[in-house]
Amino acid sequence: MIALFLVSLALHGLALLLPAFLRNDHRLSVVCNLVNAIAAGCGLGFSLSALLAYQRAEYSFDLPAVGRVPIGFDGLTLFFLFTFQLLSIAGSLYAIGYLRHYIERGHSVRGHLWFLTLFILALQLVLVVQNAIVFLVVWELMAIGAYFSIVFERDKEEVRRGGFWYLVATHASVLLLLVCFLVLREVTGSWSFDDFAHHTNYDPKALALILLTGFAGFGIKAGFMPFHVWLPNAHPAAPAHVSGLLSAINIKAGIYGIARLMMMVPAQESAYGWGLLVVALISAVLGVWYALAQHEIKRLLAYHSVENIGIIGLGLSVAWLGRCYDLPELTVLGFAGALLHTLNHAVFKGLLFFGAGNVYLHAGSGNIETMGGFSRVIPLTALSFLVGAVSICGLPPFNGFVSEFVIYKSLFRASDLMRGYPPLILLFAVVGLAFMGGLALACFTKLYGIVFLGRNRSDSELRRQPEPGSSSVALLGLAGLCAFLGFFPALGLRLVAPALRDLREAARAPADWASPVSQLEIVFLLFLALTIVVCGAKLWIQNRIGVRLRETWGCGYPAVNPRMQYTASGFAEELVKLGAPMLRASTSWEPLRSIHPFARSFHSHCHDRLEDGCRLTLRALERLLASFRWIQSGNIRHYVLYLFAALAYYLLCALIW
Amino acid sequence: MVKLSPDPFSWLACALLLLSAPLFVGIVNKLKARLTGRLGPTTFQPYYELLRLARKETIYSTNAGFISRVTPGLLLCTVVFTSLLLPLGRSAAISFPGDIILFAYLLALGRFFQILAALDVASSFEGMGASREARFAVFAEPIFFFTIGSLAIITRHYSFEAIFAEISWRDPFFMVFVSVGLLSLFFLTTVECSRMPVDDPNTHLELTMIHEVMILDASGFDLMLYQYAASLRLVLYCALATLILNPFGVFGLFVGLAIFLAVLVLLAVALALIETLMARFRLPLVPQFLLFATAVGILNILVFTFSH
Repeated sequence: MIALFLVSLALHGLALLLPAFLRNDHRLSVVCNLVNAIAAGCGLGFSLSALLAYQRAEYSFDLPAVGRVPIGFDGLTLFFLFTFQLLSIAGSLYAIGYLRHYIERGHSVRGHLWFLTLFILALQLVLVVQNAIVFLVVWELMAIGAYFSIVFERDKEEVRRGGFWYLVATHASVLLLLVCFLVLREVTGSWSFDDFAHHTNYDPKALALILLTGFAGFGIKAGFMPFHVWLPNAHPAAPAHVSGLLSAINIKAGIYGIARLMMMVPAQESAYGWGLLVVALISAVLGVWYALAQHEIKRLLAYHSVENIGIIGLGLSVAWLGRCYDLPELTVLGFAGALLHTLNHAVFKGLLFFGAGNVYLHAGSGNIETMGGFSRVIPLTALSFLVGAVSICGLPPFNGFVSEFVIYKSLFRASDLMRGYPPLILLFAVVGLAFMGGLALACFTKLYGIVFLGRNRSDSELRRQPEPGSSSVALLGLAGLCAFLGFFPALGLRLVAPALRDLREAARAPADWASPVSQLEIVFLLFLALTIVVCGAKLWIQNRIGVRLRETWGCGYPAVNPRMQYTASGFAEELVKLGAPMLRASTSWEPLRSIHPFARSFHSHCHDRLEDGCRLTLRALERLLASFRWIQSGNIRHYVLYLFAALAYYLLCALIW
Repeated sequence: MVKLSPDPFSWLACALLLLSAPLFVGIVNKLKARLTGRLGPTTFQPYYELLRLARKETIYSTNAGFISRVTPGLLLCTVVFTSLLLPLGRSAAISFPGDIILFAYLLALGRFFQILAALDVASSFEGMGASREARFAVFAEPIFFFTIGSLAIITRHYSFEAIFAEISWRDPFFMVFVSVGLLSLFFLTTVECSRMPVDDPNTHLELTMIHEVMILDASGFDLMLYQYAASLRLVLYCALATLILNPFGVFGLFVGLAIFLAVLVLLAVALALIETLMARFRLPLVPQFLLFATAVGILNILVFTFSH
């Protein structure tokens, strides 16, 4: 089967060559994206069949200066590979339709396609290499590919700015990971992940350093608070297919890293578990609260990724706690919940970002305050966006519910199995999860209601517009997958199972840990049947009695216009106000100058306190470093002097030792 | 394991609940009328109103899309389906570990679509109602999860049937805990079912309402479904609050049924009394009221944990 994976890599390699040989037009975009989609499809065939008939496979090759590089396909790798390939297919198909819009305006796509392919390819390689040095190299390639894909419209200021946020964040992450792997190398004497895992007696201090740098490094990539700052800045800057891939799979590379780290090092200290729990809970609640305050569609979705990463983090922290307290069932449940939510979030967040891209193309901007009524303009997008919105709120019977259910179950089981005060803390986590569910509901009813329903706020005519076929295939496919994974939870569990089997605790966990998740399909199908019968009966009866169309009841006011509808900020205002200590809303408007009406503007903006803090810290750092600027004098003779001084220093060192 | 009850009584009990929902609203209205010194319409008035609405033709807004057409039926289904999860009588019709989560999330699904339906017709009044509904729901979720979740943690079960079966009237501490829990659930009922002091089901001033303003544009058969779903939701939450006392488990089926109905009537009296004596809260006060109810739940579980 490995041949299929090699074919997939070769096809991605072909896609890297294509931009050099084809004309820089729509055909290049179609061919390149299709080759990528087919390549990812081959890879998907490999990972799916390997997951279903699971057998751990390992290969290795030698690299000069690095030594043996193991290539491993264990459960975790295969699961993430499956997720990444699935979204790569959807992303590539979507990109065909989305890029066409830009090509018609004379935008060059050659470089973009090259880096996009590199990004997709490196993302997959990150998962399979099991050697720290090569891992870091591939990780860096992924970051570079992602960066250049983000700055597609680099003639725009805000795009360059957003891309820069990403570049800074990803390099901070690499720096921390470098420390983490260096310490690991120091402790175990090897670069290979296997040796990390087989090493048993870790020094507690070294372990603390490994875990803190590792969690922080991968946490920046994943977007845990307070490292989330790059997400809401980079996502709106990127073209929709890249934002979708960033949120759906690139940040999941961070989750993969944390999960891999957790599988490698021994868990003795429960403090890390509780710490992760608190960070995850804060990310989740504040993430969705910030999202609620946004009126830029992609910024809003980016904050929602922070929320979902928080939910995944909850599962991971339960897994860690289960390991510390020697409760294998918790480890398995927490891991299952986290991984399942990773897959589900990838599917619906990809879907939502792609949908947002179509909205963006038709509205010409991302500001939802000017939108409305798009369900008439782009009905297919509207339908799939609705499915995504219901899924991301964790509502049954879609896939978000299933993974949140597993995480709820893990929290309830944890409070059941633990003694003393932990159950109380876990009860707060349960309530926090419910609370953020309520906030997510408010957020997505706002988003869907303002964008797709009602009348258009800029009063443009709502006529059906063509939606590109390939984009619609990607959107409807992902929407179908949301429903499929929701109605048949057993399927998702089957995909997660190999990763769980690799856990040390797997043998000791009770066999029916997944119950009743895998049997929920009966409940869902019953509910579906009931809904179909009731709605069908309703429509039949209504049609017999009669249906009429009239204007919306304006409470007696005849001159209703679309701008009188509730706005997004109005919808969320009261909730945003309640989050005041963490959310600072500011408004600005010109004062009245005369009694005659004149054109005035009103601006409202909601500040992310953590982002403000991050900016301040960075500015202070910049000032500090600026005081060393005299070193870079620009005079060649000074640099020669530096070279000479460094050489002398090393010679001196060599002489002394 | 998902268990579909083989006991016909539990399905029958659900059917009875579905049939008697408007009656419960009628009782509350009748009590309210008597308390304010009016004779009031008959107790069966809600049935007549539903029948009247069902015979009328439906008028849709020209702005309304498919959401407005689907929501009434879907909303009703979520409420009907959640009623199957409650152990009325010996057992619940559908029961599995974790059904408490499905209960909360199915009702949230109904709410999701109802809010969307309100935004669908492009009316500023309905948008206002939608915004309020979304806001108060955020604070209602924690009340449910604190009350039922703490019971789940104490009894070490997480399906309604198993949780309620563990509740006994022997332990006085537990009884205090359960009665305060009942109070929390009663607060929850007032917000989820749009009753005083959170919402006023009677006014017809669009600016003051939450639930009524969201269905301002619904008519005919759709309005009937909305009204019926609302009454069903009211009786559902009251039944949940009553079941927390576990009347069927402690006293057997028949005495239990009598006690169940008696507590339901008591809750109806409480609803009527509040609606007679109080005015609706100003809207900014509502979150405070809900946070108070949450705090009661937190205090309750803390006191219980520390006393054990």
